[in-house]
Amino acid sequence: MIKLNVNGIEHSLDVEPEMPLLWVLREETALRGTKFGCGIGMCGACTVHIDGVPVRSCSYPVSAAVGKQINTIESIGTAEAPHAVQQAWIKHQVPQCGYCQSGMQMAAVALLNKNPQPSDEDIDNAMTNLCRCGTYDRIREAIKTAAKEMV
Amino acid sequence: MGITRRVFMVTGAAIGGGLLLGVGGVGAHLLTHNRLGVQRDGHSGDDSAQVNMWIRITPDNKIVVINPHTDMGQGSSTGLMQIVADELDADWSQMSVEQAPADSAYSNGKVFEGFVREMMTPPEWASTLLENGFYRMGDLMKMQMTGGSSAVRFTGWVSMRKAAAATRQMLITAAAGQLGVPADSLITEDGTVVHSGSGKSITYGELAAKAAVMDSPKEVQLKAPDQYRYVGQPVARVDIPEKVIANADYGIDAEVPGMHYAAIATSGVFGAQVKSIDNINEVKAARGVSDVIIVPEGVAVVADNPWRAEKAVRAIKFTRQSHANDSLSTESLVAGQRKALAEELPIAMSTGSPDDIPATVTAEYLVPYLAHASLEPMNATVWQQDGKLHIVCGVQNPLNAKARAAKEADLDLDDVVFHARQMGGGFGRRVAFSMSGDEPLNWLVQAVRVAMDTGKPVKTTWSRETDTRADVYRPMVMAQFEGALGDDGKPTLWRSRSYGKEMNIKAVAPPYGIPNVAVSFADQPHPVPTGFWRSVEHSQHGFFVESFIDELATTAGDDPLQYRLSLLDESSPEAKVLNKVAEMSGWRSGIDDQGRAMGVAMVHSFGSTVAQVVEASMTPTGPKAHRAWCAVDCGVAINPQAIEAQVQGSVNFALSAALYGKCDIKDGGVVQSNFHDYRIVGMAQAPRVQVELLKLDSPVGGVGEIGVPPLAPALTNALTVIDGERRRNLPLV
Repeated sequence: MIKLNVNGIEHSLDVEPEMPLLWVLREETALRGTKFGCGIGMCGACTVHIDGVPVRSCSYPVSAAVGKQINTIESIGTAEAPHAVQQAWIKHQVPQCGYCQSGMQMAAVALLNKNPQPSDEDIDNAMTNLCRCGTYDRIREAIKTAAKEMV
Repeated sequence: MGITRRVFMVTGAAIGGGLLLGVGGVGAHLLTHNRLGVQRDGHSGDDSAQVNMWIRITPDNKIVVINPHTDMGQGSSTGLMQIVADELDADWSQMSVEQAPADSAYSNGKVFEGFVREMMTPPEWASTLLENGFYRMGDLMKMQMTGGSSAVRFTGWVSMRKAAAATRQMLITAAAGQLGVPADSLITEDGTVVHSGSGKSITYGELAAKAAVMDSPKEVQLKAPDQYRYVGQPVARVDIPEKVIANADYGIDAEVPGMHYAAIATSGVFGAQVKSIDNINEVKAARGVSDVIIVPEGVAVVADNPWRAEKAVRAIKFTRQSHANDSLSTESLVAGQRKALAEELPIAMSTGSPDDIPATVTAEYLVPYLAHASLEPMNATVWQQDGKLHIVCGVQNPLNAKARAAKEADLDLDDVVFHARQMGGGFGRRVAFSMSGDEPLNWLVQAVRVAMDTGKPVKTTWSRETDTRADVYRPMVMAQFEGALGDDGKPTLWRSRSYGKEMNIKAVAPPYGIPNVAVSFADQPHPVPTGFWRSVEHSQHGFFVESFIDELATTAGDDPLQYRLSLLDESSPEAKVLNKVAEMSGWRSGIDDQGRAMGVAMVHSFGSTVAQVVEASMTPTGPKAHRAWCAVDCGVAINPQAIEAQVQGSVNFALSAALYGKCDIKDGGVVQSNFHDYRIVGMAQAPRVQVELLKLDSPVGGVGEIGVPPLAPALTNALTVIDGERRRNLPLV
């Protein structure tokens, strides 16, 4: 049995150690906010935090997450208590189809936690998640707004 | 703008609940399908009043807009609500939107008619409908399509606007009767009918039941633009707050009790079926695997977890049938196109005497097959329950998808229940049409087969690899151009020949004043499955036309933007967007001290006109687009901020194609498979995009796709300034 801590809750799971964390989260802990986009760590739709660090869960074996703190998009904020990043996302009307945005927000939150006043170049370097709808202009603005709010 | 009799007939009847198309024998049949009845049946248990097929009013004065279009991120539901709120005189706080069921009552002949009225030649799928007698009620009724940049433009601006205006008039009439006062003594405001003389007022909610049974007025009065409260305002999209917070409402997120999961591997060759699975026992022995079966053009594994299914399907060894497409390759396809263009071709359009003028400027362009690469891969969840087949799936045409599933399962349409979901990207992939006649709903067909053949509830999800390789692709097109210049440097000749049946002459012919023009096409098929890709034929022909006019400009030694203007009527939208984008960008020629140069392009598509300037430079890793400016004339801008988003997004979508996008064909299948070799732009490659909407008197135009066609030529035109090279083949990297 693999013991995982997801969003502060302990789970005991009968899964292969090599199953990617993404599929454990979506199917074993019923957390479907984290998305599948490519399976090879290129798009970032599957981004979660492991001990606060953004990780592409589609390419991360669940066994490597044992003993660590896993946080998914569900723990970042709620409709009643949205994270500053989420408030900024709404203010700037960021999403189009929205599919990439959970992963995008996880990357943005991690960026702002580490670098509270990111420059445009910092944003370019940290925000490597893909958005097929191409919402990058508004993502950039929203990150800057969130940065101000999080001060 | 006058309302033509035909439009009035359509919308007049739409208000009353039937549909009279006035074309062929379709109308009579459609009248027997009472759209209103569908909605009323659905709400017979509550006390709301379905006034017409688009609008339901509750006793507590809530206005529900019924939206037949599905959501792929374009935000059109908000635009539709804005239109209804304004014509109805409702306050935004009253408004909400509901998805129409996948029902023939909600088929949108309006989209079809809109295309026919707007274009000189309808798009190929519409021509096919007309020519082949396809324009039968059955097939027309299966069009509940979201695409063609049409939801707000046609459904909203034509149908719902008039329906809402008529509803308001009916509510006034009902109030007049109730209060015993003349109708013209009443006004409406914020969802209430008011008799200022007596101070009496009645809410729409109180009147709706009476209005719902009235005859619709023969004439409707629409508001003037200066009366709009919501139309034209950057209203926040109603669906965004939900989308922002851990959204799990996509097809891929479906949850059904006892659900299994299926993964698919393609046969590897377009059209080829799998004959046998050679290691079935070995694959079945893997943990969680329950079924290993052949499906159309591939194999499937059913397991208790998506990853287990995918791992197992990749372990399958199968034998496929040999197929005519086995030897298909990019090289053979390109050679085939070149050969086709060398033959005598039908002329699509000719003005002046194009054959009499020798060409002095020639160019051949080639753009590749492109995959859609929606971030949510194709998926469908299918199960049988109480004698019906249920499907959860994100599609751009729920009715057509339902019909296709029914056909595959050998069921009546009424025995299929289609639960449409928001899509993680559509871009034309999920619209269920293939110009090549291949199966566009291939993933759905496979999902239905898996569920039917195993008897289990199954969520079938494509891997990114399968999604890239089993697409219906944006066609590869080769185009050859010939031109000549007069002594004044202006074009005297424009001849073009391109591969594939021209879908729309307005896309292929130059929008410029050129005296001798000939446009031909090689009416030949694509062996590769093809389908609509955002902006469709404009994605190729916009690149060709705006590259060639630029080549003529630089051959003449003229500024490319001024050259285009000199060939346009200065009062035209085409000229106005060019002038506007010149102003927005600070248009300059030459290379600045950072190695950056500007290029321009202008394309009219889907009823709108867009001019773009791209500022780019060459870097060691290839071209970089730094900034892009877009001047847009879409006629009426219902929601400016949603339009800005669509145009910005389109720029990035088009940039991915211009820089990286290609699907090479080898041994009958696509080479590329995932984002490492089918790249799309990320934050670091995305330019800063500024969008401005012009306020001209143009008719309402589409917005979802119009930002795509000008981007590639604006970029390549900029790069030419830098090194003098003409880039006629895409992608660039």
